Amino acid sequence: MRRTSRIVWIAVALVVLLGTSTGWSEELKVGAIGTLSGGGTEWGLALQRGMTIAVDEINAAGGVKAGGKSYTLKMVMYDDQYTAQGGTTAATRLVNVDGVKYIIGPVGSPPVLGTIAVTNPAKVVVLANGYSPKIMTPESKYNFRVQIPTDYFAPAVARWLRQAYPQMKKVGIISPNDAVGQTLAPLHVQAYHASKFDVVFDEKYDRGLKDFSPLITRMMARGAELLELDGNAPGEAGLMVKQSRQLGFKGVIIQTGGPGLEEIIRVAGPFAEGFLSYDLFDPTDPTVQGYVKGYRAKYDGPIPGISVMYYNATRILHEAFKKADSVDVEKVRAALEKLDGTSTIFGPVRWTGQERYGIRHQLLHDFFISEIKDGKVRIKARVAAGE
Amino acid sequence: MSVSLLVPILFTGVSLSAIYILVALGFTLVFGIMRVVNFAHGEFAMMGGFALLFLLDRLAWPYWLALPLAALMVGVASLLPERFVFRRLYGQELPSMIAALGLSVVLAEGGIILFEVHERSLPSAFSGLIHIGGFTFPEDRLVVVAIALAALAAFWLFVRFTRIGLALRTVAQDREIAEAQGIDTRATYRVTFFLATTLAALGGALFAQIYALSPLMGQVPLMKAFIIVIIGGLGSVPGAALGGVLLGMSESFLNTFYGASVAQFASFGAIILLLVLRPWGLLGRPEG
Amino acid sequence: MMTTRVLAMSASAGVSRARWAWLAAGAVALLVWPLFVNEPFFLHIATLALLYTIGAASLHLVLRIGHLSLGHAAFLGLGGYTSALLTTALSWPFAAAFIASGLVPAVVALIVGPIVLRLRGVYFVLITFTFGEVVRLVFTEWQSLTGGADGIFRIPPPHALLASKRAYYYFALAMAVACVGVVARILASQTGRFIDAIREGERLAQSSGVPILRFKVMVFAIACGLVGLQGSLLAHFITFVAPGAYAFNESLNLLVMNVIGGMGSLTGPLVGAVFLTALPEFLRGWVELQRFLYGVVLIIVMLFVPGGLVELGRRTIALVREPEGRDA
Repeated sequence: MRRTSRIVWIAVALVVLLGTSTGWSEELKVGAIGTLSGGGTEWGLALQRGMTIAVDEINAAGGVKAGGKSYTLKMVMYDDQYTAQGGTTAATRLVNVDGVKYIIGPVGSPPVLGTIAVTNPAKVVVLANGYSPKIMTPESKYNFRVQIPTDYFAPAVARWLRQAYPQMKKVGIISPNDAVGQTLAPLHVQAYHASKFDVVFDEKYDRGLKDFSPLITRMMARGAELLELDGNAPGEAGLMVKQSRQLGFKGVIIQTGGPGLEEIIRVAGPFAEGFLSYDLFDPTDPTVQGYVKGYRAKYDGPIPGISVMYYNATRILHEAFKKADSVDVEKVRAALEKLDGTSTIFGPVRWTGQERYGIRHQLLHDFFISEIKDGKVRIKARVAAGE
Repeated sequence: MSVSLLVPILFTGVSLSAIYILVALGFTLVFGIMRVVNFAHGEFAMMGGFALLFLLDRLAWPYWLALPLAALMVGVASLLPERFVFRRLYGQELPSMIAALGLSVVLAEGGIILFEVHERSLPSAFSGLIHIGGFTFPEDRLVVVAIALAALAAFWLFVRFTRIGLALRTVAQDREIAEAQGIDTRATYRVTFFLATTLAALGGALFAQIYALSPLMGQVPLMKAFIIVIIGGLGSVPGAALGGVLLGMSESFLNTFYGASVAQFASFGAIILLLVLRPWGLLGRPEG
Repeated sequence: MMTTRVLAMSASAGVSRARWAWLAAGAVALLVWPLFVNEPFFLHIATLALLYTIGAASLHLVLRIGHLSLGHAAFLGLGGYTSALLTTALSWPFAAAFIASGLVPAVVALIVGPIVLRLRGVYFVLITFTFGEVVRLVFTEWQSLTGGADGIFRIPPPHALLASKRAYYYFALAMAVACVGVVARILASQTGRFIDAIREGERLAQSSGVPILRFKVMVFAIACGLVGLQGSLLAHFITFVAPGAYAFNESLNLLVMNVIGGMGSLTGPLVGAVFLTALPEFLRGWVELQRFLYGVVLIIVMLFVPGGLVELGRRTIALVREPEGRDA
């Protein structure tokens, strides 16, 4: 017994020593919420990776320096199971047990709505996405949306398409029958109408459908010349690209949503040639290349768009710490709101949303239209998101 | 309806039916002979896809060798859960079903840990398009239909004309009589499980080839197998064939003319109706 | 199913004095701990665990009549949506909406019950599975009513006083005791003996004059009504309902609570509900392995301890008391 207790004491002493020797920098916990089990795991892992890369970069560069102190970022992540209940549970734990003041994620409307129901009353800053209009309201003072929503970029893409393909008329839209599709499809219809396209086919399918040939056959019978893939997951979008080409569809295929170009090339193979997509960043940009390199060094497989989005969110939060010169929530929140013009992996960003949502917490930046050419992603155009 | 629409619809229906039957056949076989509702059936299909990916991508084997071998690998591997999980639960319908649910979770989540969750496609052995009389047929689907038909024919010949096949049919009809006749039921179970998972793996490999491959893909084949065996009759082999054709064709037609939601409601509606009016399915036999 | 019978017999063998002492001690512990640990997260998890005991116990009723349902989450959802819609769209008071959230699933169960309960074994499993999927699809498709896949957001708390986690915990505790009490009462009564008689030998029970189908439908409706009440309590606790929360996974979850806890007695689902709500929180360190382990546990329980945690507990106690009696 005495020997064990001595070992324990030595261990404690060692920990204390180690703690104080590296202890010039305090630990600053940043929460993360994402789906890590069941369907949607893809997004949670993407968030985890993007954020890990950002956190590692920040710590390698000396951590967060604010108010004369130095902090090492520590990421604490919980699973939300892609449900509101999971989001609520994870957020409750982060806020109350881990004492976190900043949360990155989750991905997707149900867990985001669950999360912000906990974090807004607790005054915890959340940087997340989610398409639901209920995420952005005047009361949501502490949550920010770091993904440009469709009602901002779809009209701009439609205008670009009108110019690029002046004679084109008929558009077909295929979307998933979930929160994404149900919210977004009407926005696409509106955007295409505004640019004088006819939407001749607007169809939803339930999760699990893998053979889209019947839907595409009917769409072709209606004479569609452009296929809009909306917010489909990259796997499904890739299948639609492949199957529509196999059925002999000769028109333009574009995904104004996503993006997941690399994943689409993986699934559709040679059939992906000529595919157009809304894209977040220019891969030739040096900052972006740094990210790509960082990702490849750690992980296999294609780089998911979501990972970049949350890498960016973490960097933006870091900018806010620097600007506030503090880790106090109110000061950081105020600094976040004043980040307009900050240069990021997506170029300069700004906030918008006052007229639309009654709160200026919507991130906005220029974006790109990419094309797949010779099996590689090429930037075709740079587009400014419309108000 | 114009012919230009009819031909692609029929072709889609045929290719869907072929894969559905391959997967459903094993599911119905395991239930018919072993009385096990194998919730992990879809995961064996998933494993088939990954085995094929491994052989094609890592070892660069030729397709014609890799495909049957991938299916056999999964079949052999499946003897492990047969030995250590199902064998201990034979004759206990609900416990074996729950254990199968557990196995399904273990395999799918194990797949995520090993292979990552994202969807991918197999390196395409056939990506050309064949034009016949103004219609376009993708090569990969033609190949899939041909392989599925060949596998089904081989299965039928095996069950119809071999001694083991005879044993299988006897056990399926009446286990006690079969045992009295000196048939080793345990060996029969092993063969059944092997055959079932091999067929599922083949179906999964083909599914992965024309659709996509991911550790979570097993749910779709399982759902289809469910629907098919309810239509055709749980445990009935001809029923699985009939159910597969009915489901494949109706999905193709309904999706084309009424959309995906209607197709899904229709297939669920049909199942509920069948379960209520004729729970033993179109070609099954009522239980005593 | 031997174990089922043995456990059921020992459970009905009469409530001993020691058991009452244990129950009293448990009750005091449940009532008192939040006074010392006012930690929102623990209260949150404890509340969830209490609410799930209602659903798990109600599914236990269905299991006891010899049917394995894989569609129980559909009734959970019916309760949740009923309560959410009535309190938000029609501004009903919570009490009325709560009662309705029990009645709606019960009425639906009364309608589908006579049809589905004719089916036995695997067929019942398959039809309840399909029913669950259909209900989920209706939640998703009927956008004008249910808000589609987005669901309904900002569901008010049952009462202004119940806005805090601690208050909701006590509320959930009272409700769980009431609902589980109903189940326990049913099982301990004449009805409970009928239930066991039906499961063990339907023909025999029939010949002794029990109108089996009508009886089963009644039990099924009560079970579905109870899980509907859980749906309401959960919806007002989480403040959100969406179709994704009532999918197959949730039905499976309720079943697994029964399996892991033990299907032989009512204690099983209660233990299972608490265990499975708390377990993910303990496994956070292996978040990627969480579901994998869940599957492993399921298989192990089925193979080695078909009586679940309750049986495991019994065996351990027996071992501690008489270590030599190991091979008995």
